[in-house]
Amino acid sequence: MSRFVISDLSVNRAELPVVSKVSLVAESGAISVLLGANGAGKTTLLEGLSGIIPVAGGRIELDGREIHKARPGLRSREGLAHVEQGRTVFRQLTTEENLKVGLSREAEMAQAYDLFPELVQRRAVRAGLLSGGEQQMLVIARALLTRPKVLLIDEMSAGLAPVIVTRLMNAVRRLADEGLAILLVEQFAALALSIGDRAYVMRRGRIVHDGECKALARTPDELHRLYLGTEAA
Amino acid sequence: MDALLTSAVAGLTAGGTYALLGVCAVFTYRLVSVVNFTGAAIGTAGTFALIALTEAGYPTWPSVLAGILVGTFVGVAIGTIMTRWFAESSASTKAAVTVALLVGLIAVGLRLTGGQHPHVMPELFPGSAFRLAGVEVTIASVLTIGLAVLFTVLSDLFLNRTRVGLHLRALSDRPMAAELLGVKVQLLSLLVWGLTGAFTTFALMIIAPQRSPNFMTLSLLVVPALAAALVGLFRSFWLTLAGGILLGVIEGMASTVDSISQYRSAIPFLVVLAVLLWSQREARWDDAR
Repeated sequence: MSRFVISDLSVNRAELPVVSKVSLVAESGAISVLLGANGAGKTTLLEGLSGIIPVAGGRIELDGREIHKARPGLRSREGLAHVEQGRTVFRQLTTEENLKVGLSREAEMAQAYDLFPELVQRRAVRAGLLSGGEQQMLVIARALLTRPKVLLIDEMSAGLAPVIVTRLMNAVRRLADEGLAILLVEQFAALALSIGDRAYVMRRGRIVHDGECKALARTPDELHRLYLGTEAA
Repeated sequence: MDALLTSAVAGLTAGGTYALLGVCAVFTYRLVSVVNFTGAAIGTAGTFALIALTEAGYPTWPSVLAGILVGTFVGVAIGTIMTRWFAESSASTKAAVTVALLVGLIAVGLRLTGGQHPHVMPELFPGSAFRLAGVEVTIASVLTIGLAVLFTVLSDLFLNRTRVGLHLRALSDRPMAAELLGVKVQLLSLLVWGLTGAFTTFALMIIAPQRSPNFMTLSLLVVPALAAALVGLFRSFWLTLAGGILLGVIEGMASTVDSISQYRSAIPFLVVLAVLLWSQREARWDDAR
């Protein structure tokens, strides 16, 4: 059982505070969904968690070990994987080579192909030539081969056809059921809430809601209010 | 005609060095995205370590080894600056930083080595290897070209056949994505800087006796090296290799023609200009349509 705990985390961009004192938890076997309007600070939070941006304050713990001062590579070796938005494949490498970059000693390539059999036929193709959906499958499978305990996924559905998004969501649910802790940032709120366990909503860099996904999915008006902050109006 | 052939063959030594320095420049650009203007200066630092040790009476070959270590160390030091403070900077910023570092290295190097003070550079590989069309081909020529070919072949094999090479290719494509997968980005970047430092040092040790062994002259060999790299469009090791050798041969041949011999150092600039015009032709045609 892995436990990823974020306490009072603040992250700045160009010295401007974007994320302020955020606390949340992701646990093995569960998907924590992080929702919010554009500019709420979701991507900045994830970049602070994986070390792309240094954190300005607070703590990040993975299984009791503090990792917020470590470089991204060390956080990865501690068990934190980050699937960035924008489908960051290595364009000049083939599908198989992309997977090998992240392959840890304990992992096997078969795990990637088992999760996304579509990639088997495309193993010798340069990743830059894959479709958007295949590229997204590749970056998720590649992260999986690092044998993570926690998987951060940022906007995996952006620009993809609904049928592909559903396929990806099902794969993410499967990974959680196999024991991964997942923190999913998503624009497709309804779909994300349908596969998620715990929901967090961010607005202006702060968590304004923490509850069960099912409960939030049943009250779209409440979700709308949380996104836009209409209670303040 | 004989004089032209003799000069062309004589240019092979310089050509081999330009080729090796050029291939190292491509290696650095492809893997750590830096157009490195300090390449030759790094090798020069190692070469002057050899000169200082031999002038102090130390035996030649241990001094060569020490010089290569110094070149490797200087390469790693420059690499540390680039990876620590400029890893996320644009290509133009990184290139500008290496120009500034080149100026700094030359200033420090000239100060430490006594400026124009004459130095005796031991000839590591004296003599002739064989005769080609009646012209002596020196061991130095064969060795510099051989070293350039070896580095090119090894680079290809290393990048395409090894796990570290795969990591380096990933690093060159998306450094942050590679680091997020646990690739030891800083260590690999320093490996690139160290390796190119060692190879350029050895190449300059071979060519130095035929040049004015002065810190600035040797450091500015980066100009023909980058011209060679440009022939390979900073991507192809083999085209860079060919470009470097050709540049040396043309420079050698130019030395026999009185009217142009004093301008032969401008040949790399002409090559740079020609390659840039050639590489931009499609854009110009597109604009014209």
